[in-house]
Amino acid sequence: MELDDLKNTWEDISGRVNKQQHLSPEIIEKITRAKYYPGFKKIAYPEITGVIICIAAAVFVILTFSRLDTHFLQGVGIVFIVLLLALSAISVLSLRQFSRKGDVNKTYAETLKDFAVQKIRFHKLQRINATLSYVLLVTTIVLLSKLFGNNDITNSKYFWIYSFSFGYIFLLCFTGWVNKYYKKTLQQTEALLIELVS
Amino acid sequence: MDKKEIFISAIENNKGLIYKVAAVYTNDIQDRKDLVQEIIYQLWKSFDSFNQQSALSTWMYRVAMNVAIYHIKRAKRKVVTVPLEEQLLEFPETDNRVFEEKLQVFRQYLNQLNLLDKGIILLYLEDKSYEEIAQITGISETNVGTKIYRIKEKLKKQITKQG
Repeated sequence: MELDDLKNTWEDISGRVNKQQHLSPEIIEKITRAKYYPGFKKIAYPEITGVIICIAAAVFVILTFSRLDTHFLQGVGIVFIVLLLALSAISVLSLRQFSRKGDVNKTYAETLKDFAVQKIRFHKLQRINATLSYVLLVTTIVLLSKLFGNNDITNSKYFWIYSFSFGYIFLLCFTGWVNKYYKKTLQQTEALLIELVS
Repeated sequence: MDKKEIFISAIENNKGLIYKVAAVYTNDIQDRKDLVQEIIYQLWKSFDSFNQQSALSTWMYRVAMNVAIYHIKRAKRKVVTVPLEEQLLEFPETDNRVFEEKLQVFRQYLNQLNLLDKGIILLYLEDKSYEEIAQITGISETNVGTKIYRIKEKLKKQITKQG
């Protein structure tokens, strides 16, 4: 099939599409009038739930901070709180970026450029998110064992062995998977962006 | 005629355009229906900004294709629109399956292109002049010509490769 054959196929498709009789004035009216697109809320639910959980966990650690009786545990507590707030911020930023709909009157190339920039930024945030999640996991284990079992797990050599060996391997595999997952899309997006700005 | 009547008449006269853009940028029927709704909604929302410096269909193509780009981003998150009556946005084909298959094959070729080339080739297939393609996409007429030539070559190569 060459482009001319493709054109013939398209003409056939067009002919059929143009027979469409169902888009009546009543339906058009309904679409313009109805707030038919509750997209933002649907998109936002998982993110908002995540942010609420993060903030609740941060508040819990702040309220029980006095039970962290060594400087090291207090340091872990602070890192934990900062990470939760950072992850919440990243989540909200991603959400804002994701739900932002630009000016639809722009030219197609301008929209594509915005789209590509947003996509690259979003993937960068995802990478940061993956790395921070690992650190959060380690701090969570330390704090959980202290706050719920009154047990300072950091005194155990096994904790350090597991968290830094297996944990590090897990981090490498996980971030590697994240990068691999996004690599092709990212390369395509970057290539498109280069084409658009050149 | 009031604004809404003018708009409805404009949509009715150009509904093929909306359906075709939706058909090219989506992969299944439900997604296509959602995109058709979204395009009409966005056209209505930005109808005041149509300044009549270009033809109405040129402006509609531009908005429809831009909405399709944003839709790609959202569709991955399974955003669902409020369903209008199921039959309202159907493609009224008696041989719907044949039509869908044809569309599927057509999309396979187009999906090998990046989004810029895909948009250009859609307009080319719609018999738009280089000038109009340039107005919609925002690239120069010369560039449009070069790109169409390259896309033809690319498609030819891929078609040869597929045997």
